[in-house]
Amino acid sequence: MIKIKINGKEYRVKENLTILEAARQVGVEIPHLCYHPALEPEGSCRMCLVEIKGVPKLQLACSTSVKDGMEVETDNEKVREARKAVLEFLLAGHPLDCPICDKAGECKLQDYYYKYGLFEDKFEEEKPRRNKLVRIAPNLILDQERCILCTRCVRFLREITKTEELGVFNRGKESLISVYEQELVENNYSGNLVDICPVGAITDIDFRFKMRIWFLEKKKSICPICSRGCNINIHFLPETFPFKRERRVYRVTPEPNPKINGYWICNLGRYGYHYIDNDRILVPSKRNENSEKLEEISWREFYEDIGNKIKVLIRRKKGEKIGAVVNLSLTNEEYEILKVFFNQCVPQSEIIVFGKEKGKADNFLLTEDRNSNTRGAKKFGFVEKKIDIKKFLSNKELVIFFGHEITEHYAIQFLSEILKSIKTKVLIASNKGPLINLMDYILPSCVVAEKEGSFINCEGITQKFNRVLEPLGKSKSEIEILTSLAQRSGIWRNFLLYRRTG
Amino acid sequence: MTPMIKEKLITRNLEIENLYKIEIYKKYEGYQALRKALLQMTPEQILEEVKKANLRGRGGAGFPAGLKWGFVPKDIDKPKYLCVNADEGEPGTFKDRFIMTNNPHLLIEGIIITCYCVGIHTAYIYIRGEYEHVAQRLEQAIKEAYKNNYLGESILNTGFSLNLYIHRGAGAYICGEETALLESLEGKRGHPRLKPPFPASVGLYKCPTVINNVETISNIPIIILKGGEWFVKKGLPKDGGTRLFSVSGSVKNPGVYELPTGINLKDIIFNYAGGMKEGKELKAVIPGGLSAPILKAEEIDIPMDCESLMNANSMLGSSAIIVIDNETPIIDVLRIIVNFYAHESCGQCTPCRNGTWWMKNIVKRIFEGNGKVSDIDNLLRIANNIFGKTLCPMGDAASMAVRAILEKFREEIENYIQGKE
Amino acid sequence: MSLKFSPEAEKQIKEIIKHYPEKQSALLPILHLAQKEFGYINEEVENLVAQILDIKPIKVREVVTFYTMFHQKPVGKYHIQVCRNISCSLNGAEDLINYISEKLGIKVGETTPDQKFTLSVVECLGACEHAPCMQINSEYYGNLDKKKIDLILERLNNDTDD
Repeated sequence: MIKIKINGKEYRVKENLTILEAARQVGVEIPHLCYHPALEPEGSCRMCLVEIKGVPKLQLACSTSVKDGMEVETDNEKVREARKAVLEFLLAGHPLDCPICDKAGECKLQDYYYKYGLFEDKFEEEKPRRNKLVRIAPNLILDQERCILCTRCVRFLREITKTEELGVFNRGKESLISVYEQELVENNYSGNLVDICPVGAITDIDFRFKMRIWFLEKKKSICPICSRGCNINIHFLPETFPFKRERRVYRVTPEPNPKINGYWICNLGRYGYHYIDNDRILVPSKRNENSEKLEEISWREFYEDIGNKIKVLIRRKKGEKIGAVVNLSLTNEEYEILKVFFNQCVPQSEIIVFGKEKGKADNFLLTEDRNSNTRGAKKFGFVEKKIDIKKFLSNKELVIFFGHEITEHYAIQFLSEILKSIKTKVLIASNKGPLINLMDYILPSCVVAEKEGSFINCEGITQKFNRVLEPLGKSKSEIEILTSLAQRSGIWRNFLLYRRTG
Repeated sequence: MTPMIKEKLITRNLEIENLYKIEIYKKYEGYQALRKALLQMTPEQILEEVKKANLRGRGGAGFPAGLKWGFVPKDIDKPKYLCVNADEGEPGTFKDRFIMTNNPHLLIEGIIITCYCVGIHTAYIYIRGEYEHVAQRLEQAIKEAYKNNYLGESILNTGFSLNLYIHRGAGAYICGEETALLESLEGKRGHPRLKPPFPASVGLYKCPTVINNVETISNIPIIILKGGEWFVKKGLPKDGGTRLFSVSGSVKNPGVYELPTGINLKDIIFNYAGGMKEGKELKAVIPGGLSAPILKAEEIDIPMDCESLMNANSMLGSSAIIVIDNETPIIDVLRIIVNFYAHESCGQCTPCRNGTWWMKNIVKRIFEGNGKVSDIDNLLRIANNIFGKTLCPMGDAASMAVRAILEKFREEIENYIQGKE
Repeated sequence: MSLKFSPEAEKQIKEIIKHYPEKQSALLPILHLAQKEFGYINEEVENLVAQILDIKPIKVREVVTFYTMFHQKPVGKYHIQVCRNISCSLNGAEDLINYISEKLGIKVGETTPDQKFTLSVVECLGACEHAPCMQINSEYYGNLDKKKIDLILERLNNDTDD
């Protein structure tokens, strides 16, 4: 540890840090554009210039190491003048796009201008004209007028994904960032370019012109798309939004977590949020025996119908006629309840497990395993095994399906055949899917964003998450459903007992 | 008036025809210094002489060569490199072209001795792309040197080996900046690097590298032959030896003049370069290449050495003297300056990229007749905002050059703006 | 239809690559060769050079567009590059540029319809003692006046070796 002074106050910091890192650790923020903690220092934006006592020229905080006894000023007259100068240079060459730019509200140029600028505009020449619609990726557009050449995007693709699709061409003020011919940025992490661009030069086609960010609230969650459990922020319109809400979720961005996903998320997780608002099962329904049509019922009806069936079967000591088909994306708490409900409260009942099909892993965050909580399921004894499905179904009168995963393992025709003989088939799922047409009861469950609980990720790290959104329609979490069902199934006392004792 | 100096160091023997051929060069003390250095001196002794000589860099920065060589770490298991800066892009400068065309072996000899001193086995001459014929002449001279065992394996049977290669640039003034030169040599865009670390520890391919100007290295053979103390006396105590002054502009006899460091600028112009062209009067002088702040006619009574010019808020730079006559509107000079820096800016850092472009556009507007007097203050403000904030010294050069013109010739520019004569 | 260097050039390239411990260093020398051989550096040439050096074509283009001596479009047989910097301007460069422009009937940056001459303005060529100067291909011409320019252009115009 060494001693340094920042703005007159003394601090003890680790050696080998840069001034910017050391200042950040003690709560002093130094403005910067080209610097990014995950990338090598670049030193080209010149925004982080600070004054070091004894050094006549201002120095870069992002690439100067702290030394014992160093005294740094990050906010005196000289530094403030330098910052204003850099800001003025940036704004002189920058288009006045704020009214049409998605980045407004989270733009570093805006933020820094309000904090450190507030000077009179002395630029009277013509602003440079460049291409405002360069399609650098299937999901991204580059506006070369807004680009401030911080080169974060170029360096991200060089240092993190090592794919180098972007380059800097020409020289001086003619410098442009672009792709090479039609070789677009097509790796699984391209979405991160939008996050790291400090201004609105790189925009996401998924989000472009859709919503002003100051209308959105953001809350932390866990991405459920694979077993990595990347930390994310879900950006949604709160119910207090004064206009009609076409949807709730507008985008997903990474939440930095050095232990799991660093500063990044993959494109599957970033763009795969539409299931939260789209194609949801919204109300409980039951298939009319005569018309074969689905009719809405109340939760109460469901609990009573199915609860009775379970009660009767248990009384007749026919527990083996009850089965559950469980997936690998429920929370730890839900697996615990499942264990209590079926293994301990309904003797002889059978549970089989189906997860999602394996996908291709990339060399970074995305895992082969596309289930949210395989290890959590395993902890409670739920493991995917090879089973004889016909045997499982042969004696069943009531089967409860959690999610549609079974359809990734058997053709829907086949399932349709073998499920015919089952008297009562219940589906508890959040989104519509192939099983719907085969079910007698269909119940809406919550998506991860509407629940609280915990997942264990592929490396054994347990992560708790809280509810971000209110359940859509009449959906309920699996815990709620099973608890309410337990009350009506005549197993309540045992249920409570086993829940308490575990 | 200082008497005509007869002592020539670098330009000695130039009256001899075909001096660029090795058999002629050898006849006139050629490669004698190399023999002395390799066969009679240790690297430490050579370094000592270079330090005594107070040889300052002749490229523009004026950094003492002996000091620079001393920064190279001795015990390191990485290869070391020498890059000779023959990019000569500073407008008004042509002395290096002069040396390489007329006396290439002098440079080569200097290179070999330098490499022997610092422990370098691979050297490159980074020569600007436009000097294609000069490069060809150098290639020929290098071939001759290899044939004579002055380059290659075990030079003069000492066991010391050195390979020397030519590397042509391709039209970028910024590649004269030492770290941009390294980037260009590595096959990349000429973007200057952050310093520290300095090239002496982290340079070409991240290995210790010495970068010196052509003229600087060309002084090494005579320092070896005659000694550092002798060399110092040819100039000033803190700034030894002679300098090659490139004189051009509105003078009668433009050309390269080798004169002692510290000689008076007025002397150079009027006693060596023949004075002003017929019918023209002196208006201003740019003393050290375009990047050097301009001097008014009444300011040219000044010794040409690093310190004197710095004290006059200008710089010796590349010792390129550009003489401006009274028929040249200063707005033309200003226009050339801002166009040059805007064109040559590499574009990496904000102040230079945007600042040089902004200045260029303001001056264009002024030149075309749409200027305002407040534009001058704005230009000064912009130049000040660039100064001291850029990644490399080019921003400072642009800033200082523009500021000097605006401060010293403000009235003339105001008159131009207001349409007066 | 894949582009190749001449066997002569390929030999030179092999030799050049040996000069450097890292292959990419040979990029500038090879681009000079490519420009000589193919006249200009288009996408095909970029890909060829990229292949030879085991680097991505984007890296080649980044370099080509940075340096003024590399051209992405064809230039005339004779590329007239007139210096517009200080010493040449002090010696009448601007007038000469206009003169050449009028004489050839093209503006700065343009090429004559017969593809013979391209006119550019450049920064300091490093031959200020002979101001005003111009460079045509690899030759320097100094101490120019209208008469000299007439002679030079006539000689070049009449040359028939192709």
